[in-house]
Order: sequence, then structure tokens, then C-alpha cells
Amino acid sequence: SLLPSHLLTFYLSTHSTAKYSMWSFLPRYLYLQFSKTANAFFLFITILQQIPDVSPTGKYTTLVPLLVILVISGIKEIVEDYVSVLLVNALKNTILLLIVILKIHVNVGDIVKATNGQFLPADMVLISSSEPQATCFVATSNLDGETNLKIRQALSETATMKTEKQLSNLSGKIKCEEPNFHFNSFAGTLYLNEKSPISIGPDQVLLRGTQLKNTEWILGIVVYTGFETKFMQNAVKSPLKRSKVEKVTNMQILVLFLLLLVMSLVSCVGAIYWKDRYRAEPWYIGKSGNFGFDLLVFIILYHNLIPISLLVTLEIVKYIQALFINWDEDMHFKGSNVYAMARTSNLNEELGQVEYLFSDKTGTLTCNVMTFKKCSIAGITYGQSPCFISDAYEFNDPALLQNFENDHPTKEYIKEFLTLLCVCHTVVPEREGNNISYQASSPDEAALVKGAKKLGFVFTTRMPNSVTIEAMGEELTFEILNVLEFSSNRKRMSIIVRTPEGRLRLYCKGAVSDLSLAGLRTLCVAYIDLTEIEYEQWLVMYKKAITVVKDRMKTLEDCYDSIEKKFLLLGATAIEDRLQARVPETITSLLKANIKIWVLTGDKQETAINIAYSCKLLSGQMPRIQLNANSLEATQQVISQNCQDLGALLGKENDLALIIDGKTLKYALHVEVRKCFLNLALSCRTVLCCRLSPLQKAEIVDVVKKQVKAITLAIGDGANDVGMIQTAHVGVGISGNEGMLATNNSDYAIAQFSYLEKLLLVHGAWNYFRVTKCILYCFYKNVVLYIIELWFAIVNGFSGQIIFERWCISLYNVIFTSLPPFTLGIFERCCSQESLLRYPQLYRISQTGDIFNIKVLWIQCINAIVHSFILFWLPAKMLEHGSNFIVFCYVVVTVCLKAGLETMSWNKFTHFAIWGSIMIWLGFFAVYSSLWPTVPVAPEMTGQGSMALVCPHFWLGFFIVPIVCLIQNVAWKSNTCHRTLLEEVREMESRVLISVTRMFTVRIYLLTASPCFALSDGYAFSQVERAVISQEELVRSYDTTKNKPQKTFSSATLE
Amino acid sequence: MIKRQQRRRRRRLRVFCQGQQAGALGRPPARLGAAPGGSMAMNYNAKDEVDGGPPCPPGGTAKTRRPDNTAFKQQRLPAWQPILTAGTVLPTFFIIGLIFIPIGIGIFVTSNNIREIEIDYTGTDPSSPCNKCLSPNVTPCVCTINFTLEQSFEGNVFMYYGLSNFYQNHRRYVKSRDDGQLNGDPSALLNPSKECEPYRRNEDKPIAPCGAIANSMFNDTLELFQVGNASDLTPIPLKKKGIAWWTDKNVKFRNPPGTDPLEERFKGTTKPVNWVKPVYMLDSDEDNNGFINEDFIVWMRTAALPTFRKLYRLIERKNDLHPTLPAGRYYLNITYNYPVHSFDGRKRMILSTISWMGGKNPFLGIAYITIGSISFLLGVVLLVINHKYRNSSNTADITI
Repeated sequence: SLLPSHLLTFYLSTHSTAKYSMWSFLPRYLYLQFSKTANAFFLFITILQQIPDVSPTGKYTTLVPLLVILVISGIKEIVEDYVSVLLVNALKNTILLLIVILKIHVNVGDIVKATNGQFLPADMVLISSSEPQATCFVATSNLDGETNLKIRQALSETATMKTEKQLSNLSGKIKCEEPNFHFNSFAGTLYLNEKSPISIGPDQVLLRGTQLKNTEWILGIVVYTGFETKFMQNAVKSPLKRSKVEKVTNMQILVLFLLLLVMSLVSCVGAIYWKDRYRAEPWYIGKSGNFGFDLLVFIILYHNLIPISLLVTLEIVKYIQALFINWDEDMHFKGSNVYAMARTSNLNEELGQVEYLFSDKTGTLTCNVMTFKKCSIAGITYGQSPCFISDAYEFNDPALLQNFENDHPTKEYIKEFLTLLCVCHTVVPEREGNNISYQASSPDEAALVKGAKKLGFVFTTRMPNSVTIEAMGEELTFEILNVLEFSSNRKRMSIIVRTPEGRLRLYCKGAVSDLSLAGLRTLCVAYIDLTEIEYEQWLVMYKKAITVVKDRMKTLEDCYDSIEKKFLLLGATAIEDRLQARVPETITSLLKANIKIWVLTGDKQETAINIAYSCKLLSGQMPRIQLNANSLEATQQVISQNCQDLGALLGKENDLALIIDGKTLKYALHVEVRKCFLNLALSCRTVLCCRLSPLQKAEIVDVVKKQVKAITLAIGDGANDVGMIQTAHVGVGISGNEGMLATNNSDYAIAQFSYLEKLLLVHGAWNYFRVTKCILYCFYKNVVLYIIELWFAIVNGFSGQIIFERWCISLYNVIFTSLPPFTLGIFERCCSQESLLRYPQLYRISQTGDIFNIKVLWIQCINAIVHSFILFWLPAKMLEHGSNFIVFCYVVVTVCLKAGLETMSWNKFTHFAIWGSIMIWLGFFAVYSSLWPTVPVAPEMTGQGSMALVCPHFWLGFFIVPIVCLIQNVAWKSNTCHRTLLEEVREMESRVLISVTRMFTVRIYLLTASPCFALSDGYAFSQVERAVISQEELVRSYDTTKNKPQKTFSSATLE
Repeated sequence: MIKRQQRRRRRRLRVFCQGQQAGALGRPPARLGAAPGGSMAMNYNAKDEVDGGPPCPPGGTAKTRRPDNTAFKQQRLPAWQPILTAGTVLPTFFIIGLIFIPIGIGIFVTSNNIREIEIDYTGTDPSSPCNKCLSPNVTPCVCTINFTLEQSFEGNVFMYYGLSNFYQNHRRYVKSRDDGQLNGDPSALLNPSKECEPYRRNEDKPIAPCGAIANSMFNDTLELFQVGNASDLTPIPLKKKGIAWWTDKNVKFRNPPGTDPLEERFKGTTKPVNWVKPVYMLDSDEDNNGFINEDFIVWMRTAALPTFRKLYRLIERKNDLHPTLPAGRYYLNITYNYPVHSFDGRKRMILSTISWMGGKNPFLGIAYITIGSISFLLGVVLLVINHKYRNSSNTADITI
């Protein structure tokens, strides 16, 4: 077992986002900053500079910019931390509660008492509870993401043990399976002294992390603690995520560092060569140097090749980008007043590179709101299309009640149908005054019960052995004899009741596969009248089956099957699993953006397929590969068979859908099958994985991430998605009504799936452009300035002399050229939001990463070297007897104009940054050169300003040097023969802006894109026509055999 | 310009509102077009009316009215999107070409009109009169070089000395000075900066001026004589004041304070090792002596490149009628002190007139002409490419 302190750490690390406390700020912050290689490097340089006579730039020229940067980044950290503290306040109570609970030291075998509202500290078997039938309710949203409460009921053998005395007399043992991560299964046996063994199933087990609800207290025996709990078995360690761009940048910084060493070495060798030329140094030079000393000098001289301001610039830029995401009104969900939230700013640009999207289904694609939409009773379909437009999304067809009241021939069927809906379920009613609300383990059931209530059949009371309903005002009580539970294999649940009239009846509702394909979730309802003898016989079998430990499920299912025969079909229900707004449009758009979408769900295969249809992931013609196998061999065989069938198409993107369930996936991810499976899966356009455990979700993301080397994004809303959210490169949480766990572990939280479109296509693409341009530009400007030092070294005898005044150099990054990277990083945009959304193809530019990779970085560096060459040698020749400080002016001007050339979109800030930087430098130049001796700095600058600014040579060079540098870039960029999509779009945009007539088209576009209009068709209704026909067909077949209404259900229609 | 951008922004916002609103209310856009007061009024009308309209789901009009919903936060700041197309780039290239070529020609011609003569008097060539001075034993060594001006020099003529292969930009050389001392700071005078090592102290006395730069001050003396018709020598008057920058002479360099004679003020210091005379004996003129001696100041402003020239003397023009230096024969009389042979250095004397743009510099003009031509050529090349490929260019299908 595990100590509570560990649990505590786990909880705190997942819940607490505040990084610093008031006292720990400075040490922690400094540690954090200097653990970054670049900052440590600059600290090292600062220390080097303190060695007397080594630094060509004085003692403090690195220290000052470093301090400036640390202060700025410190302010940013404080602001960010303060904000996140505010955000976390909402969670504070939860955390405190958890801490209190976790202080309890629990061991396996302990008997634990928990009270209402508490989170349970360990997995335990329920002994008894305060409630009459030893039941209790738990909220499992932290575990599986489902909001509905679950009922747990203690074994009747232990239900009476409520007092301390009874408990202290309790002795026996519990045998249970090995710890595993499946929430919905548990197999154990309770051996109480002097009693026969009793089986324990998932119904008796309370899991750690769940919350006790509507129950005063419970008693339980701890069976798993710590890492053995199902909650921890599903936990994935929260990783530190870094973006691809960041990795490339770090790599490049390393390369620059090597370049720095090489340059220093070359310069040292140059110095030796220079000395050797005269056998000794010239007489006029004072002291002589030595190799080791020179090396340090050159390292200090060239150290700013590594852009000192890059990290802090990026941090601030990304922080503001994150704010833009948070501020975005298009991602503001008015319904719950939730804005999108960037919980990290590290991954902003990663949003622009997503290639694989892993989506949860329930709560992510769908609202997780089930509505009873239609039904078919004895061949008549109720609930026609009018409700499609009406605002009330619920069942709304007066014909049903009319038929019932007007003694329509099918009246009895209607009555039986609605009674069944009221009786055959596991819903629990909760009365609050006159209102009855329903707590259901299945949202479908709740929807059906609510539907029945609306039609006058109100389910009012549930007793452990009976249910009471009000059928049109008449109170009826049904004794519940047995519940033949739902399982995914059976796809149906039945309930054996004794009706008020004293008859034995089996009510059943079950899925019909071909019906449910049609977009709505359909269930058939049927009943059997049982004879007493039949029932008695079956009961014996049943009692035997439920005590089996091994393969109990299978045994039970066989047992159930034996009685579920000769059904009398009443009709069918149709429930709509509403899609969130604009889900199909979003998916279409994302598919166009070359993002592959995988749906990973814990839900049933049929439901998943349904949803895939309704959100246009699957289409009717699309061939489907369905993988359902029960063993490794079978899986291997079916996968390789499919791979062979694909033949040459394998590895390419095909219009195929792959559907696989969790069990098969377990085999498919076996080492020997994995590669083959991935090949197959990656060749399909759509992949649906159903019945996955949270860990499997994480696993599949991980496997794909490693296999394809592409950026993956996982989106989900429940605690069961935490694993994959953390595993994927980018994790997006849907901040809805579900537990906060997904949101708290995500990198970005949005309120609706459809906001993903804007998050990726607009923010992602923009941020990618911004960050990469900012990085490229920072590299560029540093290389330009510091390679000039190398050229200068050639003419100053490799002595390590600086060409510019020391403070000009050290302020270059912090002041003179600090603004353009910010405007590039914050305001740059390749084209407008509307265009990016309208042409999702534009996303591919950032997705492929063609505008930022090692090659591009090198091209930029070489370009910078060429520029520095021009910037040094052209003035050197032109202004033969002039001053070297003039060169610095040209560098600043050229570098600022280069930023202008890179900028695709100039707003007022851009203008300010570019022209302002040039003016700031000229102003600084003028002021700085007149400070000495009043202020004891820069004696060598004295008079430079006034001399340069009136010198015609200076101005002649001022215009020509930057032009010489940049003309090649302009020529390169204005490549006119091949226009990319982006260029076309940009051109079109500028035309639209100019021409008023074009504006009209924009207006029309906005009209059609307006969410006002998109709302109405956003849910699972895609194939209504077919659904109706199928239902009718089914029911009609029932009509024909009306006189002998017996139909075997078990194998024909139900799988 | 700004105005126009603002209007553009409003128009965009308006379109957005109208689009939403017209749709929501089912009203045709024409109704809005009929609103009086032009486009601006329409804008606000449309906005005001929204209040009465039905509420819109996310992304609707409501957001344009939120106080914190600024164009900045929604990233809808008006922006100019420059597009580098043939239409914009080609004219730019041609214009650059058309502007730069004439300027270049102008500069080139001006530069060519500047008279300049350079005389190398290092004496490495055995036939040179100064060859004898290469040996350090001959002191003092005086040599005379005669030269002929083919054309007369008009206006003020500047006399420079030039050194080659002399690394005044060497790190350990550049820093070897004390600007405080040179600025007349009394404490620095007696206790010079460590940077001056090893020329900081000599025989326990502080060196004034300290450091390697001062120590290596150029100390050749150049005199110019015009050779008359009867081989008579007329000395050319060389002005030694006015050769330093004003700020250097008046701000940066100052003698130690006091009213005593200069020698007193420098008391307790010693002369740089290589100097013959102490710093207070550089000139008889009080205003050109000590640290503010202009020859000294000029030397102390270190050159950026190893080949450099420094202003030595001014030859002021006499009057408009006579050229400052008429064509003819001249003698350059050199008192040869400065050793450059050890580091393969060269010494030159340069005479030059100036123009509005300074001294002779053909490179600048050539640079302008070259860049102008390249730009023009690029324009032509791009024009050809554009013309050739325009028809076959793939117009990406943007109506997908």
C-alpha cells in the first residue's frame, strides 16, 4: 500500500498550477531560469567577463541585458502565476477536501466509513450504507467522465452490518482479481466465516476518486490502495510538453554554440598567424597575449551569436498569443459563459502543425444529452419531422396520446410499450417536491424514462424489489424479480417482474444493429409472459451461475439467453445523441486541412459508428474494415489479411474506415502485430476505436505519435481522456459540465468541439507563422551583427577588438532591435481569419513545417552572413577613412527593414516597431555621442554623432547599404512564376478590401458561415429517411404475425 | 493614410454586423444602404439596431458591443498587407535603378574632380631618398622627395599622412589609454588607468599621456616647398590648427586644470617612453600644447582599418585668383623618425582637395552605379520571367 503523502503529491501535482509561493519565488525562479541552457551560458559569460583584461566589452555588458531579461521574464512569471492562482481558486475547495481525505492512512483490509460528498480514498467493497437497501450513489465523473450517478448496492449478506460491534465480529476473506485498469469490471468472492462464498461484482465496488452522493454514509472494506487502485492504474504521469519548433530551436542554439567555438578557435589561430608574420608583435602594441587567454576573449566577443533575447521574447510573445486565445470571442461559449483557455503557452505554434486528431466521442463530439425522439409502436411511427425544426428537441407528437385516448386498435400496445419504458431500466428517481428527476447509469435510459413521463407514464418510486409507476394517474407496482443485465455482447437488458395482476413477465429492451446505424440510437422493446414453472427452472440455473468466479460473465450470459426467448415485439424507440453545434462542419473543415481524425471512445461500437456517420466522418459509400477478434492469432490474421487486400494502397491515404474495439486493439498493439496494424490504420482516412479503456486511449496516441512522427492532438472532456490528453503533443480539454479533470490536464481548454476549428486553423496557423518568424528573425539579427565582428577581426589582427561601442552592442538586442521580433511574434498574420477558415488547405503550410526547419534556419543564417559581409565590407570600402560606428547604424537600419520585409501584415504597432527602432537608434546615437565626459561612458563616441549625421558619406551609405542587402531578398520573394495558395488568397483579400463590390461577397460568406444558421443541423439526424423505413419494415413484419405474435429475438435480429 | 485605414476597419466591422444582423432579421442589405448619412452613419445605425434583434449564439454580433472586445483583442486591427507581386516589385526595381544610376554618376564625377596625390616616403626602395633612414642609427634623418603636380590644386588643400599595415585597431592597442587623464582629470593624471599598462608608469612616475597609443604617436615632420622657376624653394604655409574634431579639441581633450604654466600642471609625470619631448612641449602655442595639441588629438582617434590616413596640416587657399597649389614641382622635406619597417608598414604623404561630399572616393559612385544597374537588370529579368510565365502560371484553385 501507498503512503498518503504520495497520494497527496499526486493530487497536488495534478491540481495545483501555482508554481511559486511568496517566499520561494526568488530562489525557485532563478533556478528555473538558469536551468535553461541559454541563460546559464550567459551567466557563464558574465562570470568570464569579470576576469580582468579578458573582456573586450567591459565587465557588465552581458550582465545588464541578462538582468533586464530576467526581470522582464520574472514579471511575466509573476503575472502568469498570479492569474493561474486566481483560476485555481475555483478548485481550491476540491483540493482541500482531497487533502483532508488523503490524510487517512488506509490499508488493504481496513474498514472505511465515508460520508456524503467525500471522495473515496481507495477501491473498496461496499458492506453497508445508511440507505434502506444498503445502496449508495457515486459520481464517477472523475474516472470515466460520465455525469450520471451510479448505484452501488451491498450484498444482502453484509447489508445489516452497520454497528461497530457487528463489524468487529466480521471475519472472513475476499478473493479478487489482480489490479487492473478496467473501471467496469470486478470479479471477487467474499468468504465469510461459516457461510457459503458470495460473489462480488462491479456493483459492490466503490472506486477511488469517485464521490459519494445522496447517501449519508457508507462502510466499505478496502481492497486496493495506492497504485493498485483502478484510478491510479489509469493515471499517466503528467509530462512536460515541448513543441517541435522549440526542439528545433534548441538544436539550432546548440549548433550556433558550436559555430561560436569554431569561430573563436579560427580567430585564435588567426591571431597566432598574425603574430608569426612579424615573429613578434609590432612594437607599438603594449602587452602580448596568449592562446588560452585569446580563446576566452573571442568567446566573449562572439557570444551574442546566441540570441540572448530570444527566450524572453518568445516567452512574452507566446504569453500574449495565449491571451489572444483566451480573449477570442469566437471561442466564447455564451451558454455557460466559458472562454477558451490556453493553460500553457508552450504549445501555441504546435497547434498549427497538428496532423492527427484523437477525439473522444461522448461529451466531445456529442453533447452527451440523450433525447427521446421517436418511437414506433405496433407499426405506427410517432414523432415525425416537425420536431426537427422546433426548438424543443424532445419527443413531440400529439398523435400518440390521441391514439391512446381514442381507443385506437393499438391502444394496448401503446400502454404496454410505455409501461415497459417505465419499468425496464435501472434509473433512480429523485423527488424534490413535486418534481421528479432521474439519475441514470445510462443516459439513454434516462431519456426513455423522461419520454415516458412526458406521455403520462411516470416512474415514481424504485424499491429494491419493486418499482412503482403512475400510468395515466393510476398507480401500479411491479415487483422486480431479476435484472438480466446489459452487457456489450448481449446488447440488451431484461427485467423479470411480477405485474400488479400477479403475472410473471420479462421486459426486454435491446439494440438492433442495423437500425442503430441510421443515426439515431434505437432500441427494440419486447416482452415475454413467463410461466411459473419456466421461471422456477431458470432461477435454479441463475443462482448457480452467479457464484462462478471464472468466466462468470459468459456463464451468466448463457443463462440469460436461455430465458430470453419467444419475445413479443412491442416496438422501437429512437434516441438522439445530439451532436454539439457545428461538429460535422468542423470535421469537414479539419479533414480538408489534412488532419486525420481518429475517434477513440469508451462507448459501444454501434454508437460510435452512429456518431461517425452523423458527423460526416463516415459516409455511406466508404468501405469499412471492421476488426473484431478474440485472440492474438485471430487479430494477427485479420490484420495481415486486410493489409494484403490493400496491397499497393497500403501506406497511402485511402477513403477507408477502420473500426476496431478495445479488446482487439489490445491484441493489435502487441509487439508483433503493432507495426502491421499501424500500417493498416494509417492507410485509412478514418479510424474508430471503441470500448477503449482510458489507458488504451493513451496507448494508441502514444503508438501513433511514435510511429508517424507527426504532431498529434487529443481532445476529450472526461477523466477517461486525461491519459490521451497528456500523451498527445497537444491536449485539448472540453470544459463543459463534466468533471474538471480533463480540463485541468489539458494544454488548451475549449467549451465546444467546433472551436477546435478556429483554435487550429486560425490561432494555430497564425501562431506558427508568428513564432517561427520571430525565431528566424532573432537568429538573423544576431548573426548579422556578430559575424561582422569576425570580418573586423580579419582587419584588426585577430586581436578581439570590438567594432562597435560596447554598450551599443549590448543594447542592440535589448533596445534597438527588440521591438520587431515582438510585432512579428504578436501581430504577424499570413492572411485574415476568414480566409484561413474558408480555405482550410492553408493549414498545410504550417502543418508540413516547410517554413521552419533546420534547412530554413541555415538559409536564414547564410543570408545573415551575406548581409553582414555586405554591411562590413561595403562601408569599409566606401567610407575608407570613416568611422566604424557608422556601420552600426547601417546594421540597425538593415535589420529593422528586414523585419519589415518579413512582415506580411503591417498594423500600427508594426510601423511603430520598425520605424521607431530606427529613430530610437538615431536618437540614441545623437545623445550617446555627447555624454562624455559629463557621464563617464563611451569616450570613444564623443562627437561621433554630430560628425556622422552631417557627413554626406554617411547619408549616401545610409540609403545604399540596406538596399544592397535587401534587394536580393526582395528579388527572391517576388518570385512571380509560381504562386502558392497563400499568395492567391492574400491577393484576393487585398482586392476584396479595395473593391466595394467584392465586399458583398464577403458579406454573403459571413452570412453563410454565421453560427446562427448552423446550429439547427448539428446533430445526429443525418439518415432519418432510412431509419424510418427500417423501423416500419420491422414493425410491419410484426403486424403480419399479429395473431401469433411470437418472434425469436435472440439470434435473428439481435446480435 | 491612418484615416483611411480606420475607415477600412469600420467598414469591415460593419460588414460583419450587417451580415449577422441582416441575416437574423431577414432584412435585405438594401435597406441599410438606404440609410442617410453615408457609410459612417450606416455603420452606427446598423450597430444600434442590433440591440433590438434576436440574440445570437457564439460569434454573433453581441461581441462587437462588449467593452473589452477591442479590435486588438480580437486580432482584427487594421493592417496593410504588402504583397510582393510583379506589379509592385518591378516598378520598385526600376525606380531604384533610375534614382541610383544618376546619383552614382554624380558622385563619381564629383569624386573624379577632386585632386589627390599620394607620395610614399617609406624608403623601402633602395633608390628612394629616404632609404637611408631605414637604419635606426641615422638620427636625426632628413630626406627630401620631389614630386610634380600635373594639375593645380584649388581651394583648401588637406595634407595627410598615411600609414599602412598599422593596426591602430588592435584590441590591446585601442584600450591602452586613459580618457580621464586626457580629459584633464588630476587624479587620473597622477594615477593613470591600469589599461595603460605597460606604459602606465616609468621610473616610478606616472606617464602623461599614458598608454600604447600615445606612446606610439606619429612623429615625422613633413614640410612642403614649391620649386620656383629658378629652382628657388618657396615654403608652403602649413596650418597645424583646425585639423582635429571640434568636440575632441574642446570637450574630450583637456589639459590639467590650473592657471600655472603647463609644465607646472604636468608636474610629477613623466613623458611617454618613446617620446623625445614631454607632452607640455609639443608646441609653443599655449592653445595647441599639452593634451590639446591637435597632432596628438588626431593620433589619439584610432583608425578602424590597418591602412589609414590622418589629417596632418591644412593648406588654406590664398584667394580666388591663385590656385592653392599651382601645378609644378614640389619638394617634400621629411624628418624621418617614425619606424614602420619592422612591421612592413608604409608611410605616405597625401595632398587632397575636397568637394561637398568630402575627399576623393570613386568607390561610392561606382557602388551606386552598380547597385542601380543591378536593380534595373533584375527588374528586366523579372519582367521577362513574369511575361513568359504569366499565362502558364498555375492559378491555385481557391474556390474549393
